[in-house]
Amino acid sequence: MAGSGQIRQLKRRIRSVQGTAKITRAMEMIAASRIMKAQGRVRAARPYAEQIHDVIKGLAVSNEVRAHPLLRIREVERVAVVVNTSDQGLAGAYNANVLKVAERTIREEEAAGRTVDLYLVGRKGSGYFDYRGRRPKQAWEGVSDTPSFEDAQEIAEAVTSRFIPAEIDRVWLVYTDFKSSLTQTPTRMELLPVKPEEFEGGDEISPEFLFEPSQAQLLDRLIPQYVEAKVFHGLLESAASEHANRQRAMKAATDNAKDVAENLSRIMNQARQDQITSEISEIVGGAEALND
Amino acid sequence: MSDTTMPIEVVSAERHVLSGEITEIYARGIEGEIGILPGHQPALIALDIGPVRVTMADGSKEKIAVHRGVLFVGDDGKVIVLADIAELADDIDVARAERRQRVLEERLASKRNTALVESLRKQKLRVDTGQGL
Repeated sequence: MAGSGQIRQLKRRIRSVQGTAKITRAMEMIAASRIMKAQGRVRAARPYAEQIHDVIKGLAVSNEVRAHPLLRIREVERVAVVVNTSDQGLAGAYNANVLKVAERTIREEEAAGRTVDLYLVGRKGSGYFDYRGRRPKQAWEGVSDTPSFEDAQEIAEAVTSRFIPAEIDRVWLVYTDFKSSLTQTPTRMELLPVKPEEFEGGDEISPEFLFEPSQAQLLDRLIPQYVEAKVFHGLLESAASEHANRQRAMKAATDNAKDVAENLSRIMNQARQDQITSEISEIVGGAEALND
Repeated sequence: MSDTTMPIEVVSAERHVLSGEITEIYARGIEGEIGILPGHQPALIALDIGPVRVTMADGSKEKIAVHRGVLFVGDDGKVIVLADIAELADDIDVARAERRQRVLEERLASKRNTALVESLRKQKLRVDTGQGL
């Protein structure tokens, strides 16, 4: 009978949708726990960045920082864009949003007649630009989920080592800023040259201070560390944002699956009602036929 | 601030490693070994890849593997160690560090470069500190 076949089919679909909901629900909960962890890492990394910044500011009071190779401003001909995307999908519009900002930056720079070199973090970014026929100068995978400081150093090293000999004249860092678990904003930040204003307003270091080696040499060591800390910050913020986006996307998927399952079970119930009704009327009809 | 102890904070790029009161700290600066006792003059010292040894106020000793850091002694006598990587001896996975050390040594045998030498020094420091040497 056609009715029972339809019911069986509906039953199967409901079960499959419920199975999907279970998976997305699990992914949602995993993502939620990882947001907490990623946020914790952002917080844990803050004292280091702040302290380095303070020390540099202190040194900058009585030292000329403008001369440092990472602060050198020159005519911009070649630009590097570092883009932070995720390795895995199922994170809603996370990658699309950050890639939009990257794309805009590239367009602006190219419209101004500059050459753009790409540095990509995350498989999604590589896939996106690969499809559009752009080859990155360098790409990293397996970093974006839980970035380590060594990863950040590697990325910072890749751009600073080309900035110092003037092979590139500006570096953009494109990442997603984790404002709260509800809002994440794709952001771009000019990583290099470092702006001298960033080191203004420090407290003067008292003259009795002992420096080993000289103040200038200390600055030479600290400024690259400052840049690395910034890259690291971008990586950590992006990771937290990725998990937040995934959590939201998976929550939406779970809710949607529940709706679909509910609708399907309504249709199934109606079909079963119809089947029963028609069976009854057949029996009644048959009995009446015998009575006659 | 008391006369016999000084507060310390050890902060790595990834996290807060240690804080507390100490009576002395020894580290390897890039211009030589340094030891700091309470009442030291303010200082800013670049550290080499090496162990930092501190004696806590309760007499216990801690050893920290530090890569590329600075040691800061403030006006108020507070000691801050800022380092890319700082690991307490107890937190180091010695087996893993040894494995990475071997891999690096093999790679170095075939090709010399300064980055590799640097990484190898890091792993050696990890192994030594982790083993309590």
